[in-house]
Amino acid sequence: MPLLRPTRFGRPPPITKDLLFDTRRKLPRPPVNLRLREFAPCRLLDHYHATLSDNLMYMNYTHTPPSELKKPAREIRLRWDPSNPYSRYRKNEPVGGVQWSKMPPEPSTPENITCLEAVQIHVMAKDALTSRSNLLGVIAALRALSGETEGGAGALKSGTGVQIVRGKKQVGGWIRAGMPAGAKVTLKGPPMYDLIATLTEFVLPRLREFNGISMPVAVSGHTSYLPASSNAVKASDVSGVISFGLPPEAMAFWPQIEVNQDAYPKMYGMHIHFITNAVGIGAQERARALVSGFQIPFVRRSQ
Amino acid sequence: MSSRKFLLLCRRNTSIFSTGRRTLATVTAASPSSLSTPVHYPTPPQKPKAKPKLLTSIILNRAPIITPTPTPFERAFYTYQARLRRVLFNPFPYDFYFKQGSILEHRFNLEERKRERLAFGPQFGVADELDKEKAAANKAAVEQLAEQEGESEEMMPRTHPADEARDYKSLDRKGKRNLYLLLQENEGTWRFPQGDVKKGELLHQAAQRDLLTECGEYMDSWIVSRNPIGHYRPPRRAPSLGKPKPDEVAFFYKAHILAGQARPNPETVKDFAWLTKQEIEGRVPDHYWDGVKDMLSEH
Repeated sequence: MPLLRPTRFGRPPPITKDLLFDTRRKLPRPPVNLRLREFAPCRLLDHYHATLSDNLMYMNYTHTPPSELKKPAREIRLRWDPSNPYSRYRKNEPVGGVQWSKMPPEPSTPENITCLEAVQIHVMAKDALTSRSNLLGVIAALRALSGETEGGAGALKSGTGVQIVRGKKQVGGWIRAGMPAGAKVTLKGPPMYDLIATLTEFVLPRLREFNGISMPVAVSGHTSYLPASSNAVKASDVSGVISFGLPPEAMAFWPQIEVNQDAYPKMYGMHIHFITNAVGIGAQERARALVSGFQIPFVRRSQ
Repeated sequence: MSSRKFLLLCRRNTSIFSTGRRTLATVTAASPSSLSTPVHYPTPPQKPKAKPKLLTSIILNRAPIITPTPTPFERAFYTYQARLRRVLFNPFPYDFYFKQGSILEHRFNLEERKRERLAFGPQFGVADELDKEKAAANKAAVEQLAEQEGESEEMMPRTHPADEARDYKSLDRKGKRNLYLLLQENEGTWRFPQGDVKKGELLHQAAQRDLLTECGEYMDSWIVSRNPIGHYRPPRRAPSLGKPKPDEVAFFYKAHILAGQARPNPETVKDFAWLTKQEIEGRVPDHYWDGVKDMLSEH
């Protein structure tokens, strides 16, 4: 039984004027700017708004006294003299870099609560380097997982679809620049939350010997190889992206692929990236607090 | 002169810095000889203002357990978007997902035709079967499969018996809403679980202890953060006799109930109820409501 009782519409208005015709696609062109929106309520998004966002605001709140709200701008020394006509249009970044990664988070407000922006699934198929037709299985699997199809939303594309990832540079014996090496798909909005729900309810519980996503070792501290005074900043600590990998056996646990697993040439492992809006110092912790609110488990790596 | 020698000299003879700076010792001492600082006359000793008494209060929340029901407008919007989607999206690749002639394929076809008819009208989704006997056999097989998979079972209703019985103590009531635990004191006023802060105790530790003493240990709970989410000052009452009572400030913490049920201490608490934001408004005093209402969720 469907959750929603369908609403009946009356007859569509009679077409008095012929529709414009798209000769290339051989389809009539709709007279309005069609844009596909949500077509069903989204359970995890409701959960975010009803529970998670409040909790995240309380957990991540750092008090900023009103006197510190209007901080004086950092005194920057520009690399090039802007008054010099020779260097006027050069890219003029401050000496010492923009330092966004060393900035503390902005003062907490209800508007900048941590939220999920996108989820990206990325599959590298090494055998695609020898024959690019080996990518077909990867693309088919990613389409089945994400529901994205070629030109799926008609005249106006809803997402970017499944994209082919190419090698960026030549690495001897491994990859060549421009060679297709894998595929990725980026999901936003309700399809993203549906994917997370499938992941936490069908895939992760069926994985063998999976206790949770192991958290990276702290950069400084007694477990680190770096001295305690080290202030080394890793990109993954400050960009607010949570990444983890699934083994090839896990692909068979996605229900979209389980129904006809034998239609795929082989199973692939994948990387899943949760991209959040947290950025700067402590972004990793804030992003992890958000993602664990969607029931994705984390464990501390045993030493 | 090396820096170490210089430091030693400074320690022995601080007077080399005393010309331009005031050290701590000179702050309070009035120096009539200096012209730059104003003269301080001793003021009559003021009675130090009494420190307010700190309280911690816990807003114990039961998060929604079912999704909210869409409004008629939302439902119409979703149906319209679903129709648009059905029109614009690429056709479903049947042959990739189903073996030709399998029961699953027949079931999918039957359901798909039903969905087409719902979306676009009765002239859509009409079967073009050539063999009527075969179609009937397929339909029977699909119905049998549905029975085997238990699809004829009814879904659970979206209202719980606790809603109809108006059982305010049940954690199953109002599944679509955030519920909050409210306690009734023996004097009759309703309030959130509350307790005092011991000397030297941190606020969030006090919150944990107060939650245990007020609501019992027969539940699993999680206090969301170490930061209080708000505060409330009860109105000051004129003391009838004796010395005035110090002011009180209650700091609120948000907590979630994860399992179990509250069993409040019967010595201090007469009754308890799990209530939505709107239901709380009718029970608590107006002043308390004004201090508390912004900490409660509309969802």
